[in-house]
Amino acid sequence: MRRVARSARTTPGRLGIIASALVALSVLTGLFAALALQSKQDTISGLTDHREPLSAAAQQIYRSLSDADATASSAFLSGGSEPAALRERYEIDMAQAGAALAKAASDVGGIAGAEKQVDTLGQQLPVYAGLIETARTNNRFGLPIGAAYLREASTLMRAKLLPAAQELYRIDIGRLTDEQDDAASLPWLTVALTLVLLGSLIATQVYLTRKTNRLINTGLLVSTVAVGIGLVWGVAAGWVSAAAVGSARDDGSQQVDVLVQARIVALKCRADETLTLVARGDGTAYEKEWQELAPTISGKGENDKDLLAKARASASDPAISQQVRGAIDNAQAWQEAHRKLRELDDTGQYDQAVSMALGDDDKDAASAFNKLDENLSNAIQKGREKFVESTSSAQNALTGLVPGVAVLALIGAGGALVGIRQRLREYR
Amino acid sequence: MKRVALLLVAALALTACGGPGRPVDLAVVTAVDRPQPDGSKPGEAGATGAQPSGCGDPTASLRPGGLGIAAGSTMAKIRDRGRLIAGVDQNTYLFGFRNPATNNLEGFDIDMAKQVAKAIFNDDSKIQYKVLTSRDREKALANGEVDIVARTYTINCERLQQVSFSAVYYTTGQRVLVQKGSSINSMDDLGGKKVCANVGSTSLTQIAKHPAKPVPWSVLNWSDCLVLMQQGQVAAMSTDEPILVGMAAQDPTVRIVGPKLTEEPYGIGIPKANTDMVKFVNAVLERMRGDGSWQQSYDRWVASRLGESATQPTPKYRD
Repeated sequence: MRRVARSARTTPGRLGIIASALVALSVLTGLFAALALQSKQDTISGLTDHREPLSAAAQQIYRSLSDADATASSAFLSGGSEPAALRERYEIDMAQAGAALAKAASDVGGIAGAEKQVDTLGQQLPVYAGLIETARTNNRFGLPIGAAYLREASTLMRAKLLPAAQELYRIDIGRLTDEQDDAASLPWLTVALTLVLLGSLIATQVYLTRKTNRLINTGLLVSTVAVGIGLVWGVAAGWVSAAAVGSARDDGSQQVDVLVQARIVALKCRADETLTLVARGDGTAYEKEWQELAPTISGKGENDKDLLAKARASASDPAISQQVRGAIDNAQAWQEAHRKLRELDDTGQYDQAVSMALGDDDKDAASAFNKLDENLSNAIQKGREKFVESTSSAQNALTGLVPGVAVLALIGAGGALVGIRQRLREYR
Repeated sequence: MKRVALLLVAALALTACGGPGRPVDLAVVTAVDRPQPDGSKPGEAGATGAQPSGCGDPTASLRPGGLGIAAGSTMAKIRDRGRLIAGVDQNTYLFGFRNPATNNLEGFDIDMAKQVAKAIFNDDSKIQYKVLTSRDREKALANGEVDIVARTYTINCERLQQVSFSAVYYTTGQRVLVQKGSSINSMDDLGGKKVCANVGSTSLTQIAKHPAKPVPWSVLNWSDCLVLMQQGQVAAMSTDEPILVGMAAQDPTVRIVGPKLTEEPYGIGIPKANTDMVKFVNAVLERMRGDGSWQQSYDRWVASRLGESATQPTPKYRD
């Protein structure tokens, strides 16, 4: 320490200290920048590799489960041995839910909330399936206890499974949004550190010019230029990448989120519609929920909760717009069909109401709902593609940056060392 | 060299948190969350269960006034509407249940409602069924949501304060349904055990006030009780014998035990104001006795399974 203090009194001693400081600062900055950029790249690739697929899996779980429940009720309503098409749809829904659950379970990331939901889903899904099969067996024997098992299954679905799936989706979409914010932020600490390094290099050159009357020191100049290039490249690439992440959010994941919410509402409404008929007069609570939820997917934009109107307003891609418009038409056709079937049921024409609810004629509720669900599914898929596209370009913008800044930082350190040694030699 | 390595391992083990490592916990599940029918919960006795005084003989109804429909009468209004609205059950085998094969409602109670429709329209299909839980029967009648209730509806003084009843069309009593092979032989053996019944039913009140102190458990539909029994969540269910017979017909591993604990006269519920409708329905019941349709329906749904023949109860009228 004392030696350092003593040598700081002489010019050569001071230069020695400056040289080591500059080298250390360059190496440190380079290391810091490389690590920060690598972690940014990891965050961005994590968006497409983990975060988005997980939230998609969560919404798939919800969709499959809800559709399975509505399909089981529809099969029951059709009477007799259930139609093969409905049985197949139920089976696919359940298999889909299981597969998506396995995917969702693969990365709960130590988040207690997510883990709990996955646990609930994993434990209750086989219970649900068991109840449905017991209901089927009894139905085939012509025993009304089958209906009781179906009701118990549906209660389990609505009270435990669907809320868990919805909560899992909420957690996953929250994590996606958080990491998008993270990926879109500029690494200010690295930028500040680089600015300090650049400032030090310039100050050193000014100092040397004053002490030695020589205008240019090649080593330090090379070093300054290298650090400058690193700064400009890093900031420009970071900015381009952040913009791409932003557009992946606005045109991709945020739109998908609105569409997913609309799909969840549509599924809830469909379940309400069939369960009202299953309850046969004792289902006023279901119809009440339908009345509350239906306006949020009317697309008429009469209130600010209208999800389809929101989706239409924010759709930037023509393919998505087209699907959303289709969804709005089908949602309105469905609401009209629902109004008619309620009228039939309320005036004692139960059988006609049931056939209107299950039929595949264009005017029937089932067909309108299926088309609406398909529109939403297509729009969600398009939104996901948009997301992946933009996020990949965010990733591409950072290509080569990590090795680049590392090399530039080394050049910076080397330049400073060579430049100052050259001056030091002149003192001997 | 080897010793150094061992020392190093030891040192690392000491510095690692928590000492020697443990395998990650297995996902051990020790308790399961069983599925429950909607509205399944510990039961509370409906009101007091005590008979309000001054009601006299609750089963005495109004004397029938024939099957003619006077202009302006309740029946005329129903005829103008084009359908009879009947409050029924779709979950009680043999009395009011949905036939899964045909989607139609069938049963002894449903036959009663059909006979009323036939008397008004000469067509027993002109009915709109409205499924009610036991609990909602008085409310539905008081609000005029239904014209009649035919749903294993016990006539008693408490209910008579809010609704009117036809003459008695069937009399039975409350018994107990348990697993075959269990040592339970009556309600007396069910102390401290869960016994299931429908919310708002007289059966639930009987369970709650039984001296053996069984634990009442309430559900929305009778068949939910059988589900809970099959899942081992309740020890028994207790209600009127023919309802239990309907349950036993769906599950060969259960049996009906014990004496009849109560006497339950069933009547058709009618809004209190509609005395003309009470007289009309009583005339329908008289006709059913005459043309044998009561006997036919009873034999079809109840007699064979209960193993007990019966005839239509003799009506009692207030005047």
